[in-house]
Amino acid sequence: MRGLLLRLEPLIWGLFGGGMFVGALLLPAWCLVAGVLLPLGLLPAAEFPILWEHLYYQLSQPLGRAVAWSAVALPLWAGAHQARHLVTDFGGLRWDGLVGGLCYAAAALGSLLAAFAVLAL
Amino acid sequence: MAEHTKIIAVTRFDPERDDAPRSQEYEVPVQEDWKVLEALNYIKDHLDPTLSHRWSCRMAVCGSCGMNVNGEPKLTCREPLSNYGERVEVAPLANFPVVRDLVVELEGFLEKLGALKPWIMLAKQRAPEEGATRQSPAELADFKQFSMCINCMLCYAACPVVANEPDFLGPAALATAHRYNLDSRDEGAAQRAEIMRGEGGVFSCSYANECAEVCPKNVDPAGAIQQAKLANVLSWARSFVVRRRAAS
Amino acid sequence: MAPPRPPDRFPAGPRYRSYLLFGMGSALMLPLGFELLCALWALASGDAAWREFQAGLRHPLRIAGHAVAGVWLTWVALRFFRLFPKTQPFRLGPFRRPPDWLLVGGLYGVFAAASLALGLWLAGRIGGLG
Ligand code: SF4
Ligand code: FES
Repeated sequence: MRGLLLRLEPLIWGLFGGGMFVGALLLPAWCLVAGVLLPLGLLPAAEFPILWEHLYYQLSQPLGRAVAWSAVALPLWAGAHQARHLVTDFGGLRWDGLVGGLCYAAAALGSLLAAFAVLAL
Repeated sequence: MAEHTKIIAVTRFDPERDDAPRSQEYEVPVQEDWKVLEALNYIKDHLDPTLSHRWSCRMAVCGSCGMNVNGEPKLTCREPLSNYGERVEVAPLANFPVVRDLVVELEGFLEKLGALKPWIMLAKQRAPEEGATRQSPAELADFKQFSMCINCMLCYAACPVVANEPDFLGPAALATAHRYNLDSRDEGAAQRAEIMRGEGGVFSCSYANECAEVCPKNVDPAGAIQQAKLANVLSWARSFVVRRRAAS
Repeated sequence: MAPPRPPDRFPAGPRYRSYLLFGMGSALMLPLGFELLCALWALASGDAAWREFQAGLRHPLRIAGHAVAGVWLTWVALRFFRLFPKTQPFRLGPFRRPPDWLLVGGLYGVFAAASLALGLWLAGRIGGLG
């Protein structure tokens, strides 16, 4: 497994780097706005639940779909890669193949499902 | 110059007598402008001639006096004693086997460095008549920062990846390899690529950035390694395009 | 020879601690990515599913989790953008890499703008059917 991961490393690292960028740009605002401020009703004159039509219009445009896929799939790779490195940092090198395999399998599955969802929009 | 005493707690290890390193304290009359190394030299000269430690240039050039001072890798010839309190702990660099007292084994590092072929490689040997290879100041600026390394090993002592993955080629060696890849006179990048992206290569680095923090020469090996990863990803992607074109 | 000992200040030293907190914070992107996937899936499934997804966001534990993750990831983002410039080559064709303060400032600006835009869009203040 480690050998396979090593050969795929340029691809994985590319996805990881993109994921860190996209995730750093979007996830704080997602967490704080959709996860805290809106549910608590702390934003004046904002609708919650968020109207389906409001988001659907932008997301169903071609550019919207591309952004939506990147926003979901790339951070998965960033998170998976960081989780794998954390295990090594705490002395888990001997499980690296297994941990890496599981983390990236989850990210790959999520990316695939995100593609389905984006196409179904 | 004013003089007072400090306790210098030195890690001692005699492979013939000790099972494991132990700490030994010395009371040293220090002067205000002393570096840590001068306290060690005082111990060796006046208190305990059995103490072993390495040093040479005393001016942050030779890279042989690296030690962990209060847990932090430092060039002891440059590190002012006045930065520390009344008790200063001096230990051999972390992440290296200890030969004796403060002297660490560098053989592993030298092997890793050698494997990366840290010299200018040419596809074809140049004849002397062809003259010197020229390099513009701009081309020099492309790698100069990464060529300032003095092999002091502080970066290895700080790196959490070196600690967990003994095969990791490590900050200084990878930064040096990248330095040659960036050199306009070098044509060896392809030969280094295999090992740079192999087991223990650039992708083992998780960008803790510790090497950049402790490097006394502002080499920033962490920056070099991330740049090398990026270069690797790009050449990997390019290899597909080239293979496609070759196939069609 | 005595075997190597790990770095003296790992993992509790301040710099190691921020490195590990950075890793843990960014590892949160894995569960959060799956949450976004659920959101996207719900949106693609229609109005009812989307309302149901949002009802889940009201759970106090989820709100608390999002508050922690939001603050944590904001810090992760700032460290990430601060460490980003030096990962880029010194030169791209004829162009030298701009000074770090300029790149970091620019990235912080982009981060602020993207967060604001996403927040306003989610709050229904911009975008939508116009
Ligand atoms: S990169 Fe810096 S810390 Fe590492 S060996 Fe070279 S000079 Fe020392
Ligand atoms: S003695 Fe040469 S670098 Fe310190």
